[in-house]
Amino acid sequence: MQSQVVYPVQYIFIALFLLQINFSTAAIRTTNQNNNEQDYQDHNQLSQRLANLSKNHPSLANLQSLTKTDGSKDIWLLTIGKGDIANKPALAVVGGVEGDHLLGSELAVQFAEKLLNDPAFESERDLLNEISFYIFPDMSPDAREQYFMPIRYERRGNARPTNLDRDGKVGEDPYDDLNGDGLITMMRIKDPTGKWMRHPDDERIMVRARPEKGEKGNYLLFTEGLDQDKDGQFNEDGEEGVFFNRNFTFNYPVFTTGTGAHAVSEKESRAIADFLFQAKNVFAVITFGPANNLTKPLTYNDKDANTKIFTGWKEHDIKINQQLSNLYKTHVGKQAPKAEPGQAGDFFQWAYFHYGRFSFSTQGWSLPETENDESDTPASQELNLIRWAEDHDVSDIFVPWQSIDHPDFPGKEVEVGGIAPFVMKNPPYTMVDSIALKHASFILEMAALRPKIDLVNIETEKLGTNLHRITAEVMNTGSFPTASQSGEVIRWVQKTVLRINLNESQNLVSGKPVEVLGAIRGHSALKRSWLIRGKGSLNIRVGSEASGFREVQISL
Amino acid sequence: MKIILLIITWIIFTFTTNAQSADGFAVDNFFKALGTPVNPKVQVSWNRYYTNEGLHEIYQDMIREYPDLVRLESIGKSFEGRDLWLLTVTNHTSTPHQQKPAFWIDGSIHANEIQATEVSLYTAWYLVENYQKNRFITDLLDEKVFYILPVMNPDGRHNFMRKPNTAHSSRGGMITVDDDGDGEYGEDGFDDLNGDGHITMMRRRAPHGQWREDQDDPRRMTRVKQGEFGEWELLGYEGIDRDGDGMVNEDRKDGYYDPNRDWGWNWQPDYVQRGAYHYPFSLPETRAVRDFIMDHPNIAGAQTYHNTGGMILRGPGTAKDEQYYLREDINVYDALGDLGEKLIPGYNYLTLHKDLYTVYGGQIDWLHLMRGIFTFTNELFTSYMYFNETPQRGWFGSRSADVYLFDKHLLFSDAFVPWEDFDHPQYGSIQIGGFKKNFGRINPGFMLEQDAHRNMAFTLYHAHHTPKLEIVEFTAKDLGSGLQEVIAVVANTRLIPTHAGVDLKFQIERPNYISLQGARVLAGMTVINRDLNLVQEQINNPSVIQIDNIPGMSSVTIKWIVEGGNNISVKVDSPKGGIITESL
Repeated sequence: MQSQVVYPVQYIFIALFLLQINFSTAAIRTTNQNNNEQDYQDHNQLSQRLANLSKNHPSLANLQSLTKTDGSKDIWLLTIGKGDIANKPALAVVGGVEGDHLLGSELAVQFAEKLLNDPAFESERDLLNEISFYIFPDMSPDAREQYFMPIRYERRGNARPTNLDRDGKVGEDPYDDLNGDGLITMMRIKDPTGKWMRHPDDERIMVRARPEKGEKGNYLLFTEGLDQDKDGQFNEDGEEGVFFNRNFTFNYPVFTTGTGAHAVSEKESRAIADFLFQAKNVFAVITFGPANNLTKPLTYNDKDANTKIFTGWKEHDIKINQQLSNLYKTHVGKQAPKAEPGQAGDFFQWAYFHYGRFSFSTQGWSLPETENDESDTPASQELNLIRWAEDHDVSDIFVPWQSIDHPDFPGKEVEVGGIAPFVMKNPPYTMVDSIALKHASFILEMAALRPKIDLVNIETEKLGTNLHRITAEVMNTGSFPTASQSGEVIRWVQKTVLRINLNESQNLVSGKPVEVLGAIRGHSALKRSWLIRGKGSLNIRVGSEASGFREVQISL
Repeated sequence: MKIILLIITWIIFTFTTNAQSADGFAVDNFFKALGTPVNPKVQVSWNRYYTNEGLHEIYQDMIREYPDLVRLESIGKSFEGRDLWLLTVTNHTSTPHQQKPAFWIDGSIHANEIQATEVSLYTAWYLVENYQKNRFITDLLDEKVFYILPVMNPDGRHNFMRKPNTAHSSRGGMITVDDDGDGEYGEDGFDDLNGDGHITMMRRRAPHGQWREDQDDPRRMTRVKQGEFGEWELLGYEGIDRDGDGMVNEDRKDGYYDPNRDWGWNWQPDYVQRGAYHYPFSLPETRAVRDFIMDHPNIAGAQTYHNTGGMILRGPGTAKDEQYYLREDINVYDALGDLGEKLIPGYNYLTLHKDLYTVYGGQIDWLHLMRGIFTFTNELFTSYMYFNETPQRGWFGSRSADVYLFDKHLLFSDAFVPWEDFDHPQYGSIQIGGFKKNFGRINPGFMLEQDAHRNMAFTLYHAHHTPKLEIVEFTAKDLGSGLQEVIAVVANTRLIPTHAGVDLKFQIERPNYISLQGARVLAGMTVINRDLNLVQEQINNPSVIQIDNIPGMSSVTIKWIVEGGNNISVKVDSPKGGIITESL
């Protein structure tokens, strides 16, 4: 609702801007209008799609706002499931952990749409009898919205006023759109002290000179803007606040850019953490974000996995990661994005190390790796992107360099241009549907591997009058363990509880009335027995929210 | 007659303007004991403890009697919805308190450590009752502000005082957690079997027991020697196995978590740091304190009261963080802590992780390392105080026999619940008895005021040494051709710097701003050596010179070259040093 009102005003501003400046090159997007199916969608449009799902599937989908950000945007949770959701396993699907990763939110929303609407997933919807999905489609709505604003730049921080450069002043040096194209790109300044040079294979691309190869730099390179606070740095403290994906407790990067006053300081991070801690049924978390442990599984490191404050995945959890990685590749295939480690303070690692759940992450898409180039010219992701875009007929990737007068560099040759914001991390929108389809089918097949508790081989043996021994095996018939090994360590992960409930005339001669069990691996079982004096019926109940509950009645 | 009138006038004059010098005379029916207000307006007995409701009555009395000195506000709500009451104590009729160097005091983050509250409140009371009666106190309230939160954990205090407990419960708040992990919450807490409000011990006669009654004091159980049998076995704290899982008292309503493991620096989860909750400031009480402290960057020093053991603790809580406790900061702590040891006999100045235990996510580290606030935690009460003897090994650092001796001869056995028979549903015929919950960690009545006073004296010394900025020189010299050289020398006459070393390292707080007004500033610079004319020019915005720090017992010199001007003045604006101005 807010931006629908604001949009016409934005156009006026942009138009005024265009009139005022001497604007020469043509191949640049002149407005940030998004044409629904042609482009990524803003917060209001995503919210509308979520509301539609909830409205059209009232028995399966429920939309709630966990909180409102400082930028007055909802943190949505879409719950898909039916029946007693709290007491059966659930998967959390999280998008928008980085505000500049538009694709992540889109994949999360499209997962929900395909699950609920797509005829191809008709049979998978039966899964909802046994498993639920908590979908958090956009954890950085304040930042993500920058794509749709009159000045577009890759933003990660929320709307909290923040002193990003720790100089005591808040937001005193933002980006400036010097060439008036609505996009923040780069600026290059011809200067003998510069460390940058034009790429020998494509003069549009700037690369760092390699003195060891005899190359000499002749450009300074900064992001587009003025040094408003005259501190020698450009655009180091704009309107961005705290980055969601740097605000979590595992390996928290204290006192660094965008990490906030302390871990979990923001409404967004608190909202999701508070929800997840009470959601005992979540057995795994899938994050669409910069980390990727699906294209390649993490590797086991004995030391990291077993130090007091462990920083590496535990041995058996790595095996599950391997299994999931194989599954991912069967769905996503050759287009699988690049494997990337987690970052300090991110959500993906928090979910494993401090929330104690299996945690998987993928970008959904990344610029395909180029064939090993034998040439001696410098490697450049930007060059790779331009070539890939040419091959795939993708436009609006590059803003041609354009001369400007820059007050901080009087009399110097200054040009603004370069790779457009967002295009390095987000594919053209036309590619999203097929990416979303592959990821949806992966998530659903993964969900079917959930832990599932059962009681099997139940035997009652009469030892004498009114004396019976009951034996039973607690079996996990799923593929996932009932808890990750990290979850066995984390206090707030509910363990599997085995309880025998006797009637008043019975008493327990041997065996435990209540037992808190360790994790049971997939397709494995534990045997227990009880010696009971007395008659009549009793019941045995076992399980946890994340593996489901199983209850049997026995009559003696 | 005239003479009598003159005498009366003299007496009135003396009492109203210089009361201190006349305290050799009784006032009403009271004669002054030194160091204590002779007839305080707010009457408080400092030999008992107050419930939340009792405390609130004292707060109300204080704001009624001293409206210009005390303000009361709620800075948030506890988990159970109780207000977190904060007293702002200063001379409210002068500079706004936000512009004065501030000192933070809190008590009873651990609810069972109840005297932390009375010591905090004694401080507030003492300050207001001595304002304009004692020069040191008057200066403190004119120059500084005290933010005092007597109870950080009111839910736990309520539970401790109004429900059955041991001396060690409840430590955290009243969020029920699943202590035994069986999926049920708070299903097997203590049972006050004899109904006295104290959870004491259970013992049972046993022919092959390992315990016997002590010969000198039969109340005391002693372990038999190797190879012997005694007559008793000990069955733990009063309770029954309510959920039939074979364990007693293993899942209480006040679940085990620790608000002092819930702070933002180096927070670690429960498997690393027992007692940690979900993430930093995941508890409402600590979050409210965080909000207040972050909103008040003028806080330069802090004291957080705990019990027990007679310690004056500084951080860091972990060995790894020694690297961030910088030498210049430790020098300040040492200067304060060394005097503290002298002021409070039996207390030792210690470093948390080295001398007590490792704490991740503790309040002391958040205050020092993330806010740059010089902070001590005092562990109130020590067994030294039983007989003014250096503690030996044993129960709370004292020999067990001494504890019984102290109770018997100084408390006349008030601390002990005598062993009495009880028919236990699971253990059968047992006896219940032992020390009360208010013994061991908490000062007995006659020892409370002295401990409160000595700890307060140390804390006031600490507060006195928060930065005090003074413009010690402000001069102008004509340079000809319409130019003047203006010099300002700003001194910090106390031990604590405007910015701790760690503050500078992490750029926690903005710099001090020293600005010149009333003339056109052409250039501004910090003078590094006045004699040799070594200066550091600030090219950008020279009228407001940014000074990263004014160290304790030190000064900075600023020089401006200005053109024209009249009514030239200088303003020093320091987050922790306050705001002062001076004109030429």
